[in-house]
Amino acid sequence: MVDTSLATKKFQKEMNAGTASLVLLSVLSRSKKPMYGYQIAKHLEESGPQVPMMKQGTLYPVLRSLEENGLLESLVEPSVSGPPRRYYKITEDGRVALKDWLDIWKQTKKFVDANLKG
Amino acid sequence: MFNTIEEYLDALKSEMKDADPALLQDALADAREHLSTALAEAGESSPKTKESDALRKVIEEYGTPEETASAYNEVERRTSPALKQTIKPRSALGRFFGVYADPYAWGALLYMLIAFVTGIFYFTWAVTGVSLSISLLILVFGFPLALLFLLSVRGLALLEGRLVEALLGVRMPRNPLFSHQDMKWFDRLKALLTDKVTWVMLVYMLLQFVLGTVYFVLIVTVLSFSLSFIVSPFFMAFWDLHGQFIVNNNDLRDILPKWSYPLLVLFGILLWTGFMNLAKGIGQLHGKMAKWMLVQE
Repeated sequence: MVDTSLATKKFQKEMNAGTASLVLLSVLSRSKKPMYGYQIAKHLEESGPQVPMMKQGTLYPVLRSLEENGLLESLVEPSVSGPPRRYYKITEDGRVALKDWLDIWKQTKKFVDANLKG
Repeated sequence: MFNTIEEYLDALKSEMKDADPALLQDALADAREHLSTALAEAGESSPKTKESDALRKVIEEYGTPEETASAYNEVERRTSPALKQTIKPRSALGRFFGVYADPYAWGALLYMLIAFVTGIFYFTWAVTGVSLSISLLILVFGFPLALLFLLSVRGLALLEGRLVEALLGVRMPRNPLFSHQDMKWFDRLKALLTDKVTWVMLVYMLLQFVLGTVYFVLIVTVLSFSLSFIVSPFFMAFWDLHGQFIVNNNDLRDILPKWSYPLLVLFGILLWTGFMNLAKGIGQLHGKMAKWMLVQE
């Protein structure tokens, strides 16, 4: 018997890798004000069902990588208590990318659903 | 488990000890920002909970140091190849002239020019700051002034890092280094003063003045030499046709035969191309130095 839990973990990680970018971009596109990491994490938590292994800490590197690719921009502002906060905002390029990504997501979803039904 | 945020950060640090120091610094900044915000929030919404219990819950949601470290490594692994350009194997001649298509060579050139200006500024700032802080320490307000100055050194080091990353392509931190927030400002001054990084940053600021001047002189000298070699044969050819315009007495045309004109142009081009290659090398070296001096290991 092979240990499938490791394979499952890897599968979940790979699934999360793409969806996290899509979800973060979408959340920021709907927000009127720039948001900081904790705010986004709270928003995701309140908006409903959770995905295993998508810990709040894993969102930050994704945010940074989205910024590196020019889809988000950020601003560091001091906070009243504690360390300064990095506020993220979607860029025009980000909005364009999000539109394409949503199409890809819809196609993928359709494709997967169709093939899972058999 | 972890009793304080600092313990968590230490665990994250040791978990990421093989990672790029700049990436580690970003990861620590993110974790500190998130954990302290979440902890403060938890304290407000349910003040009766013990702080260590609240922290445990917050960390559970944030992820263990292992999970967090692997998330950063994963994303960096996926994105960095895009930052680096693909290097195709080329002939030596192709590599030599290929420097014109290399963004880092142009970046290094621009950096060397900018370093002249920033170098002067850093030097002035550092000398003014140090002497003002030290001499005013006998008065009470010398202390806050020293604190402000040392913090400004940190800020300038961060800015310099951004410049180095943008122009020289060396991964540098994207967040400032922050000391513990709960310290009194006097303790913070002490921590800044005893931190080796602050002093190394100051040395870098002084050094940048020398380097910036050398870079600037190099660029201006080589550029004017190359341009003279490239352009002067055209003038000489022009004067050969319209022999009347003799500008000065040491006319190069008396020494140089006509067949050497194309060679002069070629030499000028070679000289500048060679310098572009050199600039790229200088840029890489400078990037290494900046990383070594400005990033906390």
